[in-house]
Amino acid sequence: MPGVASNSDDLALIPHSPTNSHTIALHHTVKPPISRLSIAWARGNSLRVAVIRKPQAGESDDEPGGQVVEVKLGVDEADIYEAQWRRIAYGSVTPFAVLQSRKNLNTNAYNADLPAYVIEYSREINSLLGNQKVLPDPVIEDPKTVLQRVDEPTFSKAAWELMEIFFADKQSDGWIPERLVDWLSDYDNLIHGEQPTIYSRLVDFQTELVNLQAVEEDPKYWDVLSAALAVGWLDIVVKLLRLHSSYQHNQIGSRETENGLVETVVVLVSKMPRLRPNLSAGKLGECFDNKPDFVKAWEKWRGQITKLDCSAFWLQCGHQDTREGLKKLLQIMLGNASVLSATTFHWVELFIGHFLYIRPFTVGMESMYNLAQKCMQFKPGSSPHKLMELLNGILGENTEVVLAECSRSFGSWMITHAIELLTAGSTQADILLHEERNNLGGICIEELHRLVYAQVLSSHALTWQIAPIYLASCKKQGMGLLEILLYKQPVGHNQVLLKNIEICRMYELDNVGANAMKIAGVHHWKHGKKGSGVFWLQQAQDEFRLNRIAQQLFDFVGKSVSDESFKQWEGLIELLGSQSKAAGGLDFLHKYRDFKRSLQQVTDIACIDAARKASEALILLMKNPSTPQRFWLSLLYDSVKLLNWKERTLLNVPQTNLLLNKLQELSMARLRPDFIEADLPPQALSSVRLALATNLGRAILEE
Amino acid sequence: MEKALLTLEKGTISSAWNYCGQRFATGSVNGTLTIFDSVDPSSSSFTLTSKSKVHDTSIVKVVWVPPEYGDAVACIFSDGGFSIWEEVAEDPEHVQWVLCKSFEGNSNQAQVLDIEFGVFLNSLKLITAYSDGLVKVFELPDPLDLKNWQLQAEFQNVIDSVAKFGKVVSLSASISWNPQRGEQQSSFAIGFNSDIPLLNSTKVWEFDLDHQRWLPVAELALANDKGDPVYTVSWAPNIGRPYEIVATATNKGIAIWHIGVDANQVGRLSVEKVALLSGHEGGAWQMEWDMSGMTLATTGDDGRVRLWQSNLNGVWHEQAAIQPTT
Repeated sequence: MPGVASNSDDLALIPHSPTNSHTIALHHTVKPPISRLSIAWARGNSLRVAVIRKPQAGESDDEPGGQVVEVKLGVDEADIYEAQWRRIAYGSVTPFAVLQSRKNLNTNAYNADLPAYVIEYSREINSLLGNQKVLPDPVIEDPKTVLQRVDEPTFSKAAWELMEIFFADKQSDGWIPERLVDWLSDYDNLIHGEQPTIYSRLVDFQTELVNLQAVEEDPKYWDVLSAALAVGWLDIVVKLLRLHSSYQHNQIGSRETENGLVETVVVLVSKMPRLRPNLSAGKLGECFDNKPDFVKAWEKWRGQITKLDCSAFWLQCGHQDTREGLKKLLQIMLGNASVLSATTFHWVELFIGHFLYIRPFTVGMESMYNLAQKCMQFKPGSSPHKLMELLNGILGENTEVVLAECSRSFGSWMITHAIELLTAGSTQADILLHEERNNLGGICIEELHRLVYAQVLSSHALTWQIAPIYLASCKKQGMGLLEILLYKQPVGHNQVLLKNIEICRMYELDNVGANAMKIAGVHHWKHGKKGSGVFWLQQAQDEFRLNRIAQQLFDFVGKSVSDESFKQWEGLIELLGSQSKAAGGLDFLHKYRDFKRSLQQVTDIACIDAARKASEALILLMKNPSTPQRFWLSLLYDSVKLLNWKERTLLNVPQTNLLLNKLQELSMARLRPDFIEADLPPQALSSVRLALATNLGRAILEE
Repeated sequence: MEKALLTLEKGTISSAWNYCGQRFATGSVNGTLTIFDSVDPSSSSFTLTSKSKVHDTSIVKVVWVPPEYGDAVACIFSDGGFSIWEEVAEDPEHVQWVLCKSFEGNSNQAQVLDIEFGVFLNSLKLITAYSDGLVKVFELPDPLDLKNWQLQAEFQNVIDSVAKFGKVVSLSASISWNPQRGEQQSSFAIGFNSDIPLLNSTKVWEFDLDHQRWLPVAELALANDKGDPVYTVSWAPNIGRPYEIVATATNKGIAIWHIGVDANQVGRLSVEKVALLSGHEGGAWQMEWDMSGMTLATTGDDGRVRLWQSNLNGVWHEQAAIQPTT
C-alpha cells in the first residue's frame, strides 16, 4: 500500500504472515545517546524523522541537539534513475488519460474497439520504458562482433512486454511461443543470476573470440553455437558458423566437404520455418502465418535435416570437432530433448527450446504452464528471479501472484499502469480488480493502486501536479485524497497557489480552492502585504475575515470620523479596488465612503442634490446588515445636519422610523457589557434623538 | 532513500512541522522557540530564520495553528502553562514572532498536558487537556486576532457525567481532532494516563450544534481495558471510507478502531476494535497517519519507527520498521 516497497503480501489474497516486515536503516549523524524520535509525514509518502539527542552535562553549546532526516518510502524502480523515472511518470500520463476517456465513452456495451485501444496504450507505455540508444553504423562491420545491442533493456520494460504478450496483444495470440522467443532474445541478459545464461556465455565467448585462430578447435565455440540455436538466435548461429576456418581461402581447397557441411547447416538454420507473420530485419527463418503451410514446410525442413543427418558426407569430414558440433546442431533442430536440456542453462531457455523444436504448436496457458513446470524440474538450480516469478504467475493465470509480483518488484507505477493490461486480458482479472471490498473501505484493488501511485507522485515537488489525473480516475476516494493533497501545498508561494487554484477549478473543488486563497490572504495580511491579503480574501469570498478587516480599518482610522482621517482611509479603500462589493465588510466601507463624500459636498443650503444623495446613502448604510452597530451613532450624529435640513425634510416617515428603530436598538445594546461606546460627545445620542423626532414630525406634516 | 534536512539546536526536545512541511518549529529545554524555513517549495534545504526565548522553562510540545489563522504556534511548557506565538510583520522586511496569548500555569493549578486545534464552520477551536482530568474547549471569535479566546466548554473525560472523583493525578493526555474538513460534525478523541481508571479510556466527543454542547459519542476501550492508561491517540484522515479509523496506544499495545458514522438511538456510534498491534516495548509515544489514512507510523520506547498497514483481508500488520543508525 502507500508505496512501501517490500514483501507486499498485502496484495495477495492470502493471510498475512508476521515475518514479512522488513527493516529500513535510517542513517543520521547524531552522537548517542538518542532520547527520542519524533515523526511527521511530509507530502506523499515521505516520512520525516527528527532524531533528538539527550543533552549531556559539560558539553559545548556547539554540539547539535539532533537531526531531521527524510525517508522516501516506496521509492522503487531500482534500475531506473530518478530523472528518468520522472520522464516515464510524465510520459505515461497522456496514454493513461486517453485510455480512461476511451473506456468511459462506452461503459455499458461491449467496447469492440477496446482491444485496439489497449494495445495502443501498451505500445506507448512500452516505448517510454525503452532506452533507445542510437548507435552509429560502423564503417567496417567487424565480423567478430556476434552480439549487438542497440538498447539497454530494463527489468520494467521486460516485465511490461511479458504482460503485453499475454494480456494485451490479442492479435498475436496464435504465435505467443514465437513472441516469447523474441522476448528472451531481448532480455536473456536480465535473468542472469548466480547461474550463467546463454547470453552471459556468449558475452564471455565474444571476448575470447579475438584471440582464437581456429574457432572450431575450441569446444566453447560449439557450446555457444548449440546454446544460441536452442533458443532460436539464428542470426547469431549463422554468424558464428561463418567464422569456421573452412571458409578461409587458404583452407577451402583442403576442407571442401567440411565447409560444405557447415554451409548446409547454415542454410538449414536460415530456412527454419517459423509460425509467425513476420520477422524483424536481420532475423532469420521463413515465416508462415497459417498452420497448414507451416506444417508442410516444417515436415519438409525436418526431412532435409534427417537426410543430412544420415548423409555419407560425414564420413568424409576429417575434423572431428566440426563433425560432432554440427551433428549436435542437427539434434537440436530435430528436437532431441536431452540435447536441448544439456545445452541450455536456465529453465526459461529450455522452455523456449521446447517451443521452437519440440512443441511448436503449443497453445493455451495450461499446456504452457505445465511445460514451464517440467522445465523447472529439469533446471532446478535457477535462482528466484522477479521476471521469472512474474512469468510463472502469468502462465499459472494467477492474477493475485501477478499483482503481488508487480507491486513487490516493480513498484506502484508499474502496477497502476499494468492493471489496464490485466483487466483487458481476462474477465476473471477484471472481476477481481474491480470488485469493491469492505476491507479497503469500499474501493476496488484498481482504485487502491491508483491512490497509492498518486501518493508516490505527491511526494515530489516536480511530480505532484500529475497526481490529480490518476486521482480523477478513482471513482470513490480519489477526490478525497486530492483535497488533502491540495491542502498540503505551500500556498504562501504564489506559483503554487496559482497551480492549486487551476487544479481546483478543473476538478470543481471550489471549497478547497477558496481555502487555499484564504490561507494565502491571511498570510499576506499578517505579513504586511495588506493589499494582496485583501485581494486573496476577496477571491476566497471570505466575508467573515473581510468584515474583521473592515473593522480593523475603522480602528485604524480612529473612532471619530474627522475629515482628516477620512482622507487617510479613503485611499486605503481605493487601493482595495472595486471588486470588494461582494464582501460585506468592505461593501460597507464603500457605502460609507460614498456617504461621507456626499456629506462633505453639503456646504450650504444650496446643495440640495448633495444633501439628498447623502441621506440616501445614510439609509442604505443603516439598512445594510453588515454595517457594524458601533458605527450607527457616529453615522447618525454626522447626519444631524441632514435631519435638520431647513428647506424641507430629506427623509420620509418610514425612513425616519427606520432610523428611530436603529436608535432604540442601540440604546438597548448599550446595556450589554460588551458594548463599545463610540468616541462622541456625551450629548450625541440626545441630539440625534431630538433631530429624528423633529424630522418625523415635519415629515408627517408634509405628507 | 534518505536525506538529512536540518540539524537541531542543542537542547531541542520538541518539534512540529507546519501544514505543508515547509516550516519547522522546535522547542528547547531552556524555553527557546526556533523556526526553520525552506524558501523554495521545491527544495528541501532548511535554514534557521528565527530564534526567540519564549519562556523560562522547557517547551515540551509545539503545535502549529491551522494556516487559515496565520503562521502561529502554541508552546506547552513544563510548568504546565502554554502560550500562542505568531509571526507578523508591519512590512515584509520586518518579520517577528510576537506573543498573542499566554495561559499561565503554576504548581498550584492544574497543568495543561496536551492541546490541539481544530477548524469547524469558520471557527477555530482549541482543545486543552489538564492534569486534573478536565477538558477545556476555547474558541477564537475573531479569526484575525489570536489574542482573544473564549472558553466554550469545560468537562471531564467520562461517559457518565454524574461520576465524581477526588484529586486526579494525570501524567499525560492525548487529543486528536477529527481531521475531516467540510460541513460534518466537529469531533475529537481524547485519552488520559491518570490514576483514575474512569478518566483514562479514549472517548470521542462530538459537538451537538442544536444544544451547543460537547457529547461523548463513543468509548474506544473494551470492557476489560477501560482503565488502561492511554499514551497517545491519532485520528486517521478519511478520503472516503464509510467509517472512521482511530488508533490508540495503551500499555497493551496499539489498537486500531473502526467507528461508524451514524449514531444509534442513545447517540452512540458503533465501534469495533479491528487490531491490537504490539511492537514498541514499553509503549508508543507518537502515532502519525499518512495523508491517505492507510499507513500508520509510530515511535516508541524501542527507538524505532514502525509502519503499520492493513492487507486486503483487513488484517493489520507491521509493514516495515525504521532503525536509526549512524
